[in-house]
Amino acid sequence: MDEKELIKSAKAGDKKALTELVKKYEKTIYNFAFKICRNPERAENIMQETFYSMIKSLHQFDEKSKLSTWLYRIVANHCLMEFRKKNYQFVSIDDDDFIEDEYTIDHTSIPYLPVENNETRQILDRAIQKLPPDYRIVFLLRDVEGLSTEETGKITELSVPAVKSRLHRARAFLRKQIASELGS
Amino acid sequence: MKKKDATCKDVMHHICENLGEEMNSEKCRGIKEHLEKCTDCQEYFKSVEMTIECYRKYNIELPKEAHNRLMNFLGLEE
Repeated sequence: MDEKELIKSAKAGDKKALTELVKKYEKTIYNFAFKICRNPERAENIMQETFYSMIKSLHQFDEKSKLSTWLYRIVANHCLMEFRKKNYQFVSIDDDDFIEDEYTIDHTSIPYLPVENNETRQILDRAIQKLPPDYRIVFLLRDVEGLSTEETGKITELSVPAVKSRLHRARAFLRKQIASELGS
Repeated sequence: MKKKDATCKDVMHHICENLGEEMNSEKCRGIKEHLEKCTDCQEYFKSVEMTIECYRKYNIELPKEAHNRLMNFLGLEE
C-alpha cells in the first residue's frame, strides 16, 4: 500500500495501516524531537505525544500537505509548548546590530569535526541549546531535515523572508558558538 | 547592493541568508566574485557549511524499547 492508501485505511479505522504509518515515521520524529530538545527521554515523550495527536486528529488531515510536514508541525508545536511551560531563558538574537557585530564579523575557522565523537556532540549540544527554540526549529527544518524555505514557513507559520532572517541568525549564531568553544 | 560593492560584511550576511538557495542573481554574482578573491570569506563560508553538516550528521538511533513503549502507548500491535 502506498502512503495515500495507508492514510485512507487508517482514517477508516484500520489499525494495521495506522501501525505502518507510525513505523514509517517513528525514527524521523524521534530524531527531530531529539534535535530540538537534545534529551533522549524528552524526545521519546514528544514522539509519543506526536503520534497520539496524529491518531486523534487524523480525520482532520486534509492531505493537502505531506503527512511528514503535518507531523513536523505537531512536533514543533509540542516542543514550543514545553519550552514556554518551563519558561526557559535564552540569549536574545533579535537585534540586527548584535548579530552583525557579535556573530558575523569574525573569521575564525572551524576544522573538520568528527560527529561520532562524544566531545564534538557535547559542543554541538551546548551551542544549539543556547539558541532560542523558534530559531532552532527553523534551522533544523531547513538545514538539517532539508525542507524547503516554503515548507519551513508553512510549518512554523512564518513568511519566507521571516524564515530566511531566522535562518541567517541561527547559522551565524551556531557557527560563532562552535568556533568560540573550539578556540577557548 | 551593486555587484562591485560587495564587502566582507555583505558576503557573510548573504551566505547566512541564502546558502542552499539559487545563487544566480546579479547580487549573487557580486558575492561570488568577492568570495573567489577573499580567503577570509572563503573560511567563513566553509565554517558555516561545516556547522550545518555537523548537525545534519548528528543522529541517534531509536532504541528498540522506545519503539515497543510507543506501540504500547498507542495500543498498536505489530
